[in-house]
Amino acid sequence: MRKFIAVVKHEYRKIVLKWTFLLGTLLFPVIGACFALVPAFIFSIKGEPTRIVIVDPTNKIGMRIRENLAPDKIAARSDQAVRGAVKDMPVAQPGQMNQPPMQGQATFVFIDYNATGRSPDEIRQDLNEMAAANKIDAYLIAPSSIDSKDARFEFRSRKAGDFIASDILRDVINDAVRSQRLADANINEKSVMELSRRVTIDSKSLDDKGREKDSDMLLAASFIIGLMIYITLAIYGQVIMGAVVEEKETRIAEILFSSARPYELMLGKLVGVGLAGLTQLSIWVISIAGLIGFLAVQSDLSSLFGGMPHITPLMVAYFLLYFLLGYFAYASIFALIGSVVTTVQEGGQFAFPPVMLMLIGFYFSFAVIRDPNSSLSFWVSISPFFAPMTMPVRILAETPPFWQIALSVGINVLTIAALVWLASRVYRVGMLMYGKRATLPEIWKWIRQV
Amino acid sequence: MSDKDVTLRVENVTKRFGDFTAVDDLSLEVRAGRVFGFLGPNGAGKTTTIRMIVGITAPDEGRIGLFGERMSARLQDRIGYLPEERGLYKKMKVADQLRYFAALKDLTGKEAERRIDRWLERMNLSEWKSKKTTDLSKGMQQKIQFISTVLHDPDLLILDEPFSGLDPVNVEFMIDVLAEFKQKDKTVIFSTHLMETAERLCHDIILINKSKKVIGGSLRQVKESYGRNVIALRAAGGEAVLADRNLVKSVVYHADEAEIEIADGADAQLILKNLIGAGAEITKFEQVEPSLNDIFIDQVGGEK
Repeated sequence: MRKFIAVVKHEYRKIVLKWTFLLGTLLFPVIGACFALVPAFIFSIKGEPTRIVIVDPTNKIGMRIRENLAPDKIAARSDQAVRGAVKDMPVAQPGQMNQPPMQGQATFVFIDYNATGRSPDEIRQDLNEMAAANKIDAYLIAPSSIDSKDARFEFRSRKAGDFIASDILRDVINDAVRSQRLADANINEKSVMELSRRVTIDSKSLDDKGREKDSDMLLAASFIIGLMIYITLAIYGQVIMGAVVEEKETRIAEILFSSARPYELMLGKLVGVGLAGLTQLSIWVISIAGLIGFLAVQSDLSSLFGGMPHITPLMVAYFLLYFLLGYFAYASIFALIGSVVTTVQEGGQFAFPPVMLMLIGFYFSFAVIRDPNSSLSFWVSISPFFAPMTMPVRILAETPPFWQIALSVGINVLTIAALVWLASRVYRVGMLMYGKRATLPEIWKWIRQV
Repeated sequence: MSDKDVTLRVENVTKRFGDFTAVDDLSLEVRAGRVFGFLGPNGAGKTTTIRMIVGITAPDEGRIGLFGERMSARLQDRIGYLPEERGLYKKMKVADQLRYFAALKDLTGKEAERRIDRWLERMNLSEWKSKKTTDLSKGMQQKIQFISTVLHDPDLLILDEPFSGLDPVNVEFMIDVLAEFKQKDKTVIFSTHLMETAERLCHDIILINKSKKVIGGSLRQVKESYGRNVIALRAAGGEAVLADRNLVKSVVYHADEAEIEIADGADAQLILKNLIGAGAEITKFEQVEPSLNDIFIDQVGGEK
């Protein structure tokens, strides 16, 4: 037991006292934030205005399109889109939303082009030449009649993949065509708009006590928790494998085995590294909780977090428990792989199956968020390997009956017992086999060996 | 011999890996306070035997007794084992490594610190205490490995090919430490295929080849059992006597003396008498013991 503790201390200190641990602990939230913010930022960078020629044989629709492409109209349009994307934002924040975000809009400059007396093919040729000479970026040719069924607008652009522009353009054209059709049919457009205005839906899910929960915030929180477990499992699994391979590669294993029992050594390693992972995870959880608490005190911001799912200390405890369940299951697989291979690189190739399992578990957690009470959610949240990612999400989304949690914990504890036993059988032989990677029949022989 | 005098007793031990028998019905005894040489060519089964002695693996058959008890995990703390292939944690500080290895032998706290400092000082490595392994030269790493083996003051020291890859300064140093151990009545087992070193250091030896014991006992006994059938001769004249195939099997001339192998059934005294009778002027006539190297080559090479 004293040696086991010595091993635990050794493995724990080896990780936690390194500056990379501190860096990783601090950096992960930053990196996480970057993942969320960088794409949004990149898309918000304002592009050059698109120089466009609109050719309109009818002389009606072109004007409407030009009107709709005016900067203030486009701003209103993107504002609507943003509202759609962040519809979970409470109504208490109207001030912010009234300022339309000025970035992210495509702006258009209209270039005049006289098409009178030229055939469609000639027009196309002219415009293509102008585009080639970098005088225009795009052109739009309206059909001669917008009422015919096969009316087709031709849009050609030099800016490949300028999907913001083409997206807006599609809406703009459709709106323009609709307005024109309404005008042609002598229907008051204003009253049509009034009549067809969409209503907003306030969607919230109910928890088991019938209280309202905000499903969008829930989605975000579940995703973050699933991701956090997945990433820590993947990182610390690899740490275990690296540590095992190092002891094998440097032949330290021989000295270790002459001092303590292989079982003690392997379990000590699993526990030590696991505690390091738990430390890191706890730091994150506590700082997130602290941050939310701090923001709640700031009254003007509390409304923003009003929709935050209610997280109880029990949920945090479950969350850490499931991290440990997942950790021991996967870490023993990584330890097994580490003791069979000869180099870290070789181990990397064999790490693919467990990493894949983790990833599948992570993806299953989305299915659980969508419907926490489905039979799929039930089965994945009690199954080994997937429960560590899916059950915490399920508990957060819609806490299942206690017997299901107990069953899930029980099944996973048994799985861990089996895996640790298996890994330690392989470990005690594999660590002393140098030179070549073991084959599956050999590993099977080691397992059965007394 | 009582159990008290015997540090290690290996009785009829066999170890198999699949169809391959690595150690076959091996028995040996190592007495307390002696240096025991475990000799044999590569692949003879030395490392496998040592691994069973230190409790890394268990024998398939037979029994291993240590300090009068059956080998157990608890007894591992009284052994210091330096494996043939040895290493250190690459990115760990010297002191941290030594602390860890000591803790695994149940040596912790102030006593561990005191011994680490003392050994580092003795090895002139004090200023490297908080450096990482990767900053150390190979020779320094070997010293650290050796310190980790002796730090817990083991009663039995087992060194597997301790001198392979060691620079001469470290070899001398290690030999000094071994002598110290011997003085403290501790037991040392080392395996080697360097016969000169074994001859210089060992009281007792065992030679194994192809998983089996070939010869064993004290160095004296082994050599005596091998007989004295070689004469080192420095003489002028008497060539006719040396040419007599009834007396002399072969003659090898060195720079200023000849090595004479006595024919089977012949007698060294008769050769001397004949030489004198033939008027040879003899300045040296010595019956030479076979060297351990000769025995090794004879035993191991002869089976091929």
